[in-house]
Amino acid sequence: MKKLGPVTRTVETPVLLVGLVLLAVLVGVGGDVTIARVATLAIVSVVFVTGLSIFSANSGVMSFGHVAFMAVGAYTTAYLTIPVNLKAALFTDLPGWLSWLVDVHAGFLVALVVSGLAAAAVGVLTSPIVARLSGLQSGIATLALLLIVYNVLNSWTDVTRGSSSMIGIPRNTTIWLAFAVAAVSIAAAWGYRRSRSGLQLQASREDYWAAQASGIAVGRHRALSWILSAFVCGLAGSLYAGYLTSFNVNAFFLSATFAFIVMVVLGGYLSLSGAVIGALAVSALQEVLRRLQDGQFTGGSALPAGTADLILAAVLLLVLIMAPLGLMGVRELSLLRRRPVSGERPDSGVEVVSEPLDRATQGVARG
Amino acid sequence: MTDAAQLSRRSSVLRMAGGGIHFDGVKAVDGVTLEVRSGEVLGLIGPNGSGKTSTLNLLSGMLRATSGRIHLDDHDLTRSSMRQRVQRGVVRTFQSGRVFGRLTVAENVEAAALGAGSRRGPARRLRDEIIDELSLGEVAATRADSLTAGRIRTTAIARALAARPRFLLLDEPAAGQNEAEAVELITSIRGFARRRDCGVLLVEHDMSVVMGTCDRLHVLDSGRTVIEGEPATVRKDPRVIEIYFGKRH
Repeated sequence: MKKLGPVTRTVETPVLLVGLVLLAVLVGVGGDVTIARVATLAIVSVVFVTGLSIFSANSGVMSFGHVAFMAVGAYTTAYLTIPVNLKAALFTDLPGWLSWLVDVHAGFLVALVVSGLAAAAVGVLTSPIVARLSGLQSGIATLALLLIVYNVLNSWTDVTRGSSSMIGIPRNTTIWLAFAVAAVSIAAAWGYRRSRSGLQLQASREDYWAAQASGIAVGRHRALSWILSAFVCGLAGSLYAGYLTSFNVNAFFLSATFAFIVMVVLGGYLSLSGAVIGALAVSALQEVLRRLQDGQFTGGSALPAGTADLILAAVLLLVLIMAPLGLMGVRELSLLRRRPVSGERPDSGVEVVSEPLDRATQGVARG
Repeated sequence: MTDAAQLSRRSSVLRMAGGGIHFDGVKAVDGVTLEVRSGEVLGLIGPNGSGKTSTLNLLSGMLRATSGRIHLDDHDLTRSSMRQRVQRGVVRTFQSGRVFGRLTVAENVEAAALGAGSRRGPARRLRDEIIDELSLGEVAATRADSLTAGRIRTTAIARALAARPRFLLLDEPAAGQNEAEAVELITSIRGFARRRDCGVLLVEHDMSVVMGTCDRLHVLDSGRTVIEGEPATVRKDPRVIEIYFGKRH
């Protein structure tokens, strides 16, 4: 059984993924202002999808609500880093019991961690729900979480500024900081994947009832991965706020959710590598399509608005048809020659098809 | 294991008393009383639809009994979940194997060991032992969904053994095999169970397979007990002959 645990195999995938993110950093550092912005936001997206993947890749349950955790992270960072005197001007109608929000202040690294913790706290509150639900019900429940958080942020104007933008956040997110957070997130996601809880959660992803019959506490592991993934998505929100310096509540709703879903579905939502590759690839594709739409490749004649989104949707459909589990499926990035996955027989489909036949002839032979 | 622990395990009994369940007024299992003792193999047989799998589902906690009680020694398991029963050592398999398809054989076994409460190190040792014992070494790193039907069966049994069962509930583990293969498989399962002093409830529809491999047989028909006893006695029972051979002879 020695071949199951060499160190190279243990760390190969996260090292390769961090390497890919590093490539994005180098592109960003070497490029102009626009490219640097695209690269930085792409890496923030990597942090987000890595967080999402901690839950969805291991549990097999898709979440449409993780942008809510990103929102919690972004707002927390805003409260903690906007200069106190500006906050006093921005939040004149804070209810008394929240007046301390004006005075509270933290350095960006503290704000980053607290943002993750705040998102994780929302994760703790909502974890009983994901622990109990499966499949479609779970998907709808996560969507409900998104709606709840969005509506609170949009309507509780005295505290969240409602539909007015949150402004004046110091620009603390550099591309290197985003890279560092992405690397830590990837390491955490990989660590979870290989943990006791991660393995049991993957077993439940493959067969819920067989997992129960093996004594696996599916709900507990789902809840744990949910909270951890909320934390990482909170970090993404903090980086986002600290990079853009101002944001609007609408940044954390359906279009962002769709954009991230495209990334993980295209890359492969059951694989950490799929999520990371999807985030980088879709970010790059979106930028290329934006330039195409603006007419940068067609000699200045702009294409109709919406062309870029149309092409992106077409790419998603094409990938879904040709590789329903995304580009990576359940595989992880690897350079080393792996053991053959289908070591036992060349075509796994044959046996499955022939099995009922076997049993039918059996009945004749044995009955 | 200490002698005392061995003695206490030896005395274990998994008992269902008057167990029943009905679906929409149809009584799938109707007042069945049976017990499995450590170290023995009890064959649960009967024609299709006689309630064999439902009985196994009641014992394993996949279904909750609508009447009757289920006990493991002095512990009342009637209301316990499937997970709680696994923690107590009552472990089932499924007819189709239901292995964790996109995990490797080794991961299948390790996940089950962890699920039953082993810590990481012991879970891995147990995994390696079981994989050796069941000769799954060469496919340990193979994904379970690319195994042959035979290896899927073995993996499902390896996974059940990883939960350290005191009672194994096996739902037609030899389904799809011919008689000779079925007898061989069940005989080897019997060996694994013996070594662990584990009781086995074996659901099987083929009379000739259970004849030489089970210590006792419990025959069901239409959700009710027909007879329970030693294979030789059961085989001669006129009601059993009627059920099994009557229609054909």
